[in-house]
Amino acid sequence: MQRLFITSENLKILVANLKKSCDEFIAPKKEHLDDIVFADTKNDHAELLNYEGNSVISPRAFLLPQTEELFEIKSVKNASFSPIEDKKKRIFYGLRPCDIKALTLMRSFFSGDFIDLPYQEKYERSTFIALACNRLCCDEAFCCEMDAGPVAKEGYALQLVAIAKGYLVDVGAKEGRQIVRENKKLFTKAKAADAKEAAVTLRGMTKGRKRIDYKKLAKIMKEDKLKPSVWDDIGLRCVVCSGCITLCPTCSCFGIADRLDGDSGTRFRYCDGCPYAGFTRMAGENTPFPLHKDRIRRFFEHKLNIDVERYGTPSCVGCARCIQTCPGNISIRKFIDTV
Amino acid sequence: MKNEYLPIKAVIEKVIVESPDAKTFILRPIDKTNHMLKHKPGQFVMLSLAGYGEAPFTYASSPIKDGVFQISVRRVGILTHALHQLKEKDIVGVRGPYGNTFPLAKIKNKDILFIAGGCGMAPLRPLIQYVFKNRKDYGRIEIIYGCRSPKDIFYKEEIKSWANNPNSSVHLTVDEPDQAWGGTCGVVCILLPKIKVNPKTSLVFLCGPGVMIKFAIKDILKLGFKENNIYASLERYMKCGIGKCGHCYIKGKYVCLDGPNFSYAQMKELGIDS
Repeated sequence: MQRLFITSENLKILVANLKKSCDEFIAPKKEHLDDIVFADTKNDHAELLNYEGNSVISPRAFLLPQTEELFEIKSVKNASFSPIEDKKKRIFYGLRPCDIKALTLMRSFFSGDFIDLPYQEKYERSTFIALACNRLCCDEAFCCEMDAGPVAKEGYALQLVAIAKGYLVDVGAKEGRQIVRENKKLFTKAKAADAKEAAVTLRGMTKGRKRIDYKKLAKIMKEDKLKPSVWDDIGLRCVVCSGCITLCPTCSCFGIADRLDGDSGTRFRYCDGCPYAGFTRMAGENTPFPLHKDRIRRFFEHKLNIDVERYGTPSCVGCARCIQTCPGNISIRKFIDTV
Repeated sequence: MKNEYLPIKAVIEKVIVESPDAKTFILRPIDKTNHMLKHKPGQFVMLSLAGYGEAPFTYASSPIKDGVFQISVRRVGILTHALHQLKEKDIVGVRGPYGNTFPLAKIKNKDILFIAGGCGMAPLRPLIQYVFKNRKDYGRIEIIYGCRSPKDIFYKEEIKSWANNPNSSVHLTVDEPDQAWGGTCGVVCILLPKIKVNPKTSLVFLCGPGVMIKFAIKDILKLGFKENNIYASLERYMKCGIGKCGHCYIKGKYVCLDGPNFSYAQMKELGIDS
């Protein structure tokens, strides 16, 4: 892997150059109350090149939006449908390693025998620039334990690691090499001392944090060795506010509905999720997962057991957004510790 | 890349009234080259009614060459109500085929028992038609079918013809008989003593309401049928049919991809045996 260095000044020039080559430049910016959010800053130039913590809402919303049109209904009467294509080129800047891993996982999920075109199209046309973490974004975060931080292992074109003088740059995918080629003058070779500085910072962050044995965790969950009271407790605390699934960077469940205006309209999908009772309810009022505890169990098992079996890694990246938002104080981290 | 969510057009060629609340629709996809018609017994189709959405229906007919397929639909929800209003020459959207198939290789030369309840006859019908079409490849065939009332029996004429096949029999029962009904009354399981297949080697295919599947499986296990030889066609809420939307997910399996047909041994693993 090629390792380069860029100064903060040159990074500004690089961002300006990159903006010219894309339709949307999605980067972190400060919103009211100083929350960090991801937004298209191509025109308002409000992006933060470096920032503390992580965004409130995961950037998956740009690839799997809250609502998204799947195709156009030209005529209801003739059952005539026509595709909608999204040809936009997006550059994502400043994504945290946990969110990079989440988007990569979702890409594996949305491929397979049947390809989810709306997600894949957007993903394939996107370029990802990661920003490694220098410190934990919040007390609850456990990305290091879940093998999702403090640096991304794959899924990025460039990865920036902030140091005192500027940024170290890891060049990942082939778009990364192209960006470097096109902006050769902005980069210099990384010095050994700089690399050492970064390594010390990252080591400081991971100190005392051990990657959990998620294969063992998956096995315990599969064999159902947990006390039933664990699920009872969680079930009592869940108020079905759906905060967890809304903020989770790897949640991808959706519903599909039609929106009509006269004889034409669109079919769209909207984010949906397993905490809702109606998620599995069928015509005739048959609901296979009637209790809160059954549904949260389904949620946890999917992320911590099934996806380990399927993709070799849990689909919880330890970003702790669900823990911070839960009004019932349900913590997937404490759950893991209990197991 | 293909947008898997985009349906193709199909014309309603004929509507057959099966019972007071169920109709069979014979559909002809306009694009004849589409793989919609290359389905296998047990698979399903996603049917679109713009404005009402989409819902899964199992093919109710065996793959045939004349460019049409059938689905049987009971009127239960919003979409099925709207579908029942449609007439010949109306157009709907379809996509598929999706889901796994019944284990066709495994049933060769075996005795087969079919157990259906109500509209649960629809998913089994393609397999029954397939088996009778290749009659010599199979052993004894027994079909037991339970319905609410005589009016609710699907495919009445065809069922009569099934009984005419060699080494085969069809047994019917209803919950609420009318005056003309001279047959058995009660739930499907009361027909089990009449069947003449060897439980050790026979295969069983079930489809019907959840409670029927549950009790029928209990009874046939008692008769000595093997867990691996019992298959049920399951129903779950689904939106996409291609394993993405998450609605039909149960313990790592997607009913739309890994099912809808599961053996009883698999159902037990998924925790849906009771």
